[in-house]
Amino acid sequence: MGIDYTVDELICVCISRQVEDGEALAQGLATPLVMAGYLLAKLTHAPNVVFGSAIGNTICADGAPLSISRIEDIWLGRAIALTSFPEAVCDVLFGLQPKEFFRPGQIDPYGNFNNIFMGGSYERPHLRLPGCGGIADVTTYHSRVYFYVPRHSRAVFVEKLDFLSGLGHGHRLPDYPGPRYLVSNLGQFDFKGEGGRMRLVSYHPGVPVEKIQKKTGFPLEIAPDLHETPPPTAEEVRLLREEIDPLGIRELETLSGARRRRKLREIIKKEQ
Amino acid sequence: MINKVTTLTEAVKLVREGDTLALGGMTLYRRPVAFVRELIRQGTGDLTLLAFTASFASDLLVGAGLVSRVRSCYFGMEAFGLAPMFTKLATAGEVKVIEETEASIAFGLRATLAGVGFMPGQGWLETDLLKVRPDVRLVDDPYSDRRYVAFPAIKPDVAVIHARLADPYGNAVLGGNLAVDWELTMSSDRVIITAERVVDKLEERADIVGLRVTAVVEAPGGAKPTSCYPDYPLDSAEILRYVETCAGGGFAEYLTEFTNNSD
Repeated sequence: MGIDYTVDELICVCISRQVEDGEALAQGLATPLVMAGYLLAKLTHAPNVVFGSAIGNTICADGAPLSISRIEDIWLGRAIALTSFPEAVCDVLFGLQPKEFFRPGQIDPYGNFNNIFMGGSYERPHLRLPGCGGIADVTTYHSRVYFYVPRHSRAVFVEKLDFLSGLGHGHRLPDYPGPRYLVSNLGQFDFKGEGGRMRLVSYHPGVPVEKIQKKTGFPLEIAPDLHETPPPTAEEVRLLREEIDPLGIRELETLSGARRRRKLREIIKKEQ
Repeated sequence: MINKVTTLTEAVKLVREGDTLALGGMTLYRRPVAFVRELIRQGTGDLTLLAFTASFASDLLVGAGLVSRVRSCYFGMEAFGLAPMFTKLATAGEVKVIEETEASIAFGLRATLAGVGFMPGQGWLETDLLKVRPDVRLVDDPYSDRRYVAFPAIKPDVAVIHARLADPYGNAVLGGNLAVDWELTMSSDRVIITAERVVDKLEERADIVGLRVTAVVEAPGGAKPTSCYPDYPLDSAEILRYVETCAGGGFAEYLTEFTNNSD
């Protein structure tokens, strides 16, 4: 007897299962799926993790339910320590190397990625993206680079990037091991293929491997122990819905345009 | 110490055409929105906008046509999606983006703080950022065979920072979310503090030291609809209204309403 869950919940659960107890976890801007996954880990197998948040550059031992309007309360209100943003960048990140899940605008077979623009040329792009934050900085040395892709498509998984703003495998930097893991709405991947190529490790329940290949813009390697992603447990789903994210903020990352704005309206109404 | 209290109208005159203008705060938190409103009214243009992370206030400046160049590592609306006017104008090539990352801004400001021409860092190596920023060079480590990126010094002409509290000399309390504001204060030629309240004497320790502050302006609610933690939270409904209005092609009307607003 299966339990009901949504694909955003499955992504959160996969993220949670990548978390090890006692480690430091970094959260970037506007990444509620990641935060929900981290909180799920904290409430299940990893009670001793600490959170580093870009909101207020805080380090916190305690989490709180996801919020949009009161996100500073969550982080600044619970901070063990805080720094300025330049201090976090120059003085903290290298020393702590917190695990971080990045969301690529485009990603190539080796885990190189792009958050600058899509399509056209740099001077005249089809779409300018918000920018790469600190990705181009930390992907030169960071030992724990992870990915999540809420909407797996050939627009995201491309043979050749329009712009390289985050390093994957195949570079010449001796201290950077490259990305380790990727979860999308279709499956889980590692980078243990030929020369650091992306490999399908597990397909989410009900998703045929052919579909994953079809939605990926380059030939996928398949891990020898390919299996089905273990689905969320009833308790994991309950924690996500009742304790971690009762407003459903995590779903925003799977939506765009008018549907995203409609969901935002619902969330903000409930929050007020 | 010198009393620097002035009006918003006078403080905005410290910004000149062509300046590099740095906005304090982060994305949707403690941004100098009242200042931006008055700046749009006065119409000082051809600005280089430096915002570590840029969002609502920066998007209004870009949409109003006052910004020629953007220096930022993230220009977006966080949970609310893309920044409508930046995305539109940067996609059309009508505003130039000078690519930055967290490290290029942080190390660049620190170089100015230290009085040197650059700070070395590991960021950007092997990325395309070096191709679109040919002014950013590599440097040999004199102690090993490594090469690093020499992030060039950044020196803003004007920085504007919204604080919870300030005294007449420019000492200011930020309320926890420190952003880039100490570094902006110490690196910029002119510094303007707008504050929820200006008091004769601060009762708590200041986050910003007034020695480098040029002007102090009392601006209650001056960060709205962005937050001023812990005094007021982000006005999410208003940010959503902005995004929705722009999605319907209504930026010009929003801007008119925004600049006519007396807050």
